[in-house]
Amino acid sequence: MKLYSIDDTIQLDAFNIPSIFDDRLALYKEWHDFVFYDRKTRIFGLLNFGIHGNPFDAKRGYGSALSFFVDPQGKILTGSKIIPLRKLQISAYNPDFLGEDVEVTYKKDNTFNIKGTIDKTSFNLSLAVILPPESSKEIVFDVLDEQKTISIGMIRAADEMRKFWENWVECPRLLSSGEVTLDGTVFPINTRTGYHDHEGGRFDWGAPWGWDTGVLLCDPSNAKEPVSARFLFYRYGPSDELSYGGFIVEKKNGIKKYFGSEKIEITRSGRFSGEQSVIPGITRLIYPDYKPCIPERIVFSAVDGSDNLNIIFTPRAVCSVIPSSINGTLDTELNEMFCTASFSGSVGGKTYKKTIPCWFESVRPRGSVRNYDFEA
Amino acid sequence: MTLKLKKFLSDFIEIMKEDFPLQLRGIIKDARGITCLQTLDSDKAVIQIRKREIIITKGTPKNEINVRVALSRDCLFKIIAGKMTLAEAFYTKEFDVIGDPQTLLRCYDMWIRIISIARTSPRFHFLIYKLR
Repeated sequence: MKLYSIDDTIQLDAFNIPSIFDDRLALYKEWHDFVFYDRKTRIFGLLNFGIHGNPFDAKRGYGSALSFFVDPQGKILTGSKIIPLRKLQISAYNPDFLGEDVEVTYKKDNTFNIKGTIDKTSFNLSLAVILPPESSKEIVFDVLDEQKTISIGMIRAADEMRKFWENWVECPRLLSSGEVTLDGTVFPINTRTGYHDHEGGRFDWGAPWGWDTGVLLCDPSNAKEPVSARFLFYRYGPSDELSYGGFIVEKKNGIKKYFGSEKIEITRSGRFSGEQSVIPGITRLIYPDYKPCIPERIVFSAVDGSDNLNIIFTPRAVCSVIPSSINGTLDTELNEMFCTASFSGSVGGKTYKKTIPCWFESVRPRGSVRNYDFEA
Repeated sequence: MTLKLKKFLSDFIEIMKEDFPLQLRGIIKDARGITCLQTLDSDKAVIQIRKREIIITKGTPKNEINVRVALSRDCLFKIIAGKMTLAEAFYTKEFDVIGDPQTLLRCYDMWIRIISIARTSPRFHFLIYKLR
């Protein structure tokens, strides 16, 4: 069930700026994520544009821009930038984010134009919204309406989302074109695999919970791939024992299949030893020996009646973002992973066996996992 | 225009007083007695941790100085950006530290505590980048 049309994106994806009378203004944070993978040039890109802290306090609020690219050789190029509030414009009426050297503008033809330079990377991209946006509300309706059965995992995850995020929107598909310049080399981008989400809420990065979310960057024109496949799990505490969520697969005929967390077994093993970058750089000064523990393999095994899925995620490049708690005592690690996902199984009679590039975001308290083999 | 070291340190302490007074008090208590001659390129300033405050001056009698730290702006920003560790900077002589080991450890502890606090506040970020 679609609650929104593509034309609703401008309103839904706008910044939900709190009132000056709202409480916990210092904990306010909200951001845009844009992700794509160009299969021809083999460029992976993740761009994040956010506002953090009290938006009415020029001394303590700030904007941020982050870029994470992986080049055809698998080399990581990351960059980050802090933007003073006086040089940042955001709006409650549209998704625009106009900052120093970076800008996201939403055009009347439902296209995001993203331009900017962050450290050694620059980008000039046009991302057309080609599927209607979805919000946390719609996920609940989808589960109830299309499945006819209640998936406890997804309902609880959706409930958590509503408590956690004051604003959560995704654009499941963007037509991405333009170019990116990585360390002086220009790469053209032209792909149908773009994805965008927008999240906002008031919370501190010192909390002990986290989430795992991600999207298989499917090519809708490829008969061997689903239209979309994405997942979301919310975790209570640093371990994975208490987590709720699910995996959603959308077939070519528009039918969606939900595998709730009660029907999914997740295993993590090994330790990733490939390209890894940590942002901000000052983290290395404070914790010289710290290297986020990333599993070498993450496996989702789901069975629901005659439907089954087995997805093996193999991280290829990782960028760990370490935001600090407002009181500086605890931190969170947001592990942004570019993975390949070996996607196999059968959903509604359609059999899949394909390796698909994927964006996987795993968020937990910093240093809470030291060894995945031990956990597995 | 690039900020001078003495002005930078004075502004830094002002932000600490305004935004993190409790933490500043704790740092002063533990680092009391340190008098550090800080050199950044050719810029010099003395950081004196007294009983209740931190004083930034242009100079002080040589016999009062118990720690000397020297580095370049280039080295400082490489460390802040995570492109170089303190150990690497130390071994390549880009970062020079002189003092007795006990005072050096107290000085290191003070800086790590200050940096841990500084990274939670954009005010420090913007101030540090004015040094560039």
